[in-house]
Amino acid sequence: MTTAGEEFIRRMAAGDRDAFGHFYDRYAPLVFPLILRIVRDRTDAADVLQEVFWEAWQGASGYDPVRGTPEAWMITRARTRAIDRIRAVRRRSETFVPPVDEGLAPASPEPGGDAAERAEDRGVIRTALNQLPHAQREVIELAYYAGLTQTEISARLQQPLGTVKTRIRLGLERLRDVVRRAT
Amino acid sequence: MNGHETYETLAAVYAVGALDGDDLAQFEVHLAEGCQPCATALRESREALARLALGDTRAVPPAEVKSALMARIGTAPRAAARPSRAGWLTWAAATAAVVALAAMLTSGIVASRYEARLGQMAREMAAERERLQREEAALELLRDPATRVVELRSPSGSNAIARVIWNDKAGGHLIVSNLPPAPEGKAYELWALGGAQPRPAGLFQVDASGRVAQKVEAGGEPPKGFAVTLEPATGVPAPTGPIVMASR
Repeated sequence: MTTAGEEFIRRMAAGDRDAFGHFYDRYAPLVFPLILRIVRDRTDAADVLQEVFWEAWQGASGYDPVRGTPEAWMITRARTRAIDRIRAVRRRSETFVPPVDEGLAPASPEPGGDAAERAEDRGVIRTALNQLPHAQREVIELAYYAGLTQTEISARLQQPLGTVKTRIRLGLERLRDVVRRAT
Repeated sequence: MNGHETYETLAAVYAVGALDGDDLAQFEVHLAEGCQPCATALRESREALARLALGDTRAVPPAEVKSALMARIGTAPRAAARPSRAGWLTWAAATAAVVALAAMLTSGIVASRYEARLGQMAREMAAERERLQREEAALELLRDPATRVVELRSPSGSNAIARVIWNDKAGGHLIVSNLPPAPEGKAYELWALGGAQPRPAGLFQVDASGRVAQKVEAGGEPPKGFAVTLEPATGVPAPTGPIVMASR
């Protein structure tokens, strides 16, 4: 079955600008919070957001549903671009490492079927990260949100590289379990 | 150590974007080799991380981004059917790794192979062009009322046949069929007859099907006839070998 998102991407690949407008309306609110969380500056985040959607427009014909959902396609792209941005900043300032974001404010519930349903899932999945043992959550956040590599995490936490890898793996396995149960 | 378990760990670190150094290269090669369990694990991890990210809805995107994008796609030419660069690169790491590796390992080989092929094609084209010019020249020669065609036959009665399209001013063309290839170290030599001595009019070899066509230079007395002898491959100034074909 083709989802609405896949259909938009298919039409974007054919050059349909209206489809791009709908695609933006649907996915920009989903990816922007992640971008902002990573880059932490609203102006930078707006730049990255524009770049991410521009790339989606340009690369629509390269989307393959077998490889993942449009959500994962956009989130992966957004995360990569946002990390590129902070790594560039970090290279310029050498020492800057964004702090790990603790304690998230709860999502405001949205009205309406699809969105409300998704919001319900979100509750389960969001708590999944909070449910992880601190050591596992810490390494995943340092990697995924702060853009540190395994070597950098190992140095920062003063833990052996093998330990860092194992923690990431265990944490991710648990996250995947939660998502699998929620869907 | 369980070999594949190592990759499962690398797959997880890769999914959160933290793989670096040799591990990164090693894992990308492994993915590029088509490991399905790793590809599946990676996809599931990314979906899970996406779901996690989607749970955060505190920030609303600035309105001007959409209007900027709509203006941008309304004016800019679009690179259709070209996967965008880095986002997809990370996403489709297997493909990227294959492409990168293939590029690194084979670009030199491919380039030289293509150069060789291009060189060969250029030579083939030059040969074709030459053949075409020769045929056009022969055709042009046939339009001239002063041109005659002289037929040469084998004295032994074989079905070898040669014709010389000859014009005293312009020279001519030799066209041969059904002549067996000359033995090793030998060549056929054409002679223009009619002067005091036979005049050498060109060495030739035939192809595997016994054919050849080549230009014959003008010069000397107007010939009364032609003959072909079998001679040493370097050619001789006066005939020494047996006559293989001659005009009447």
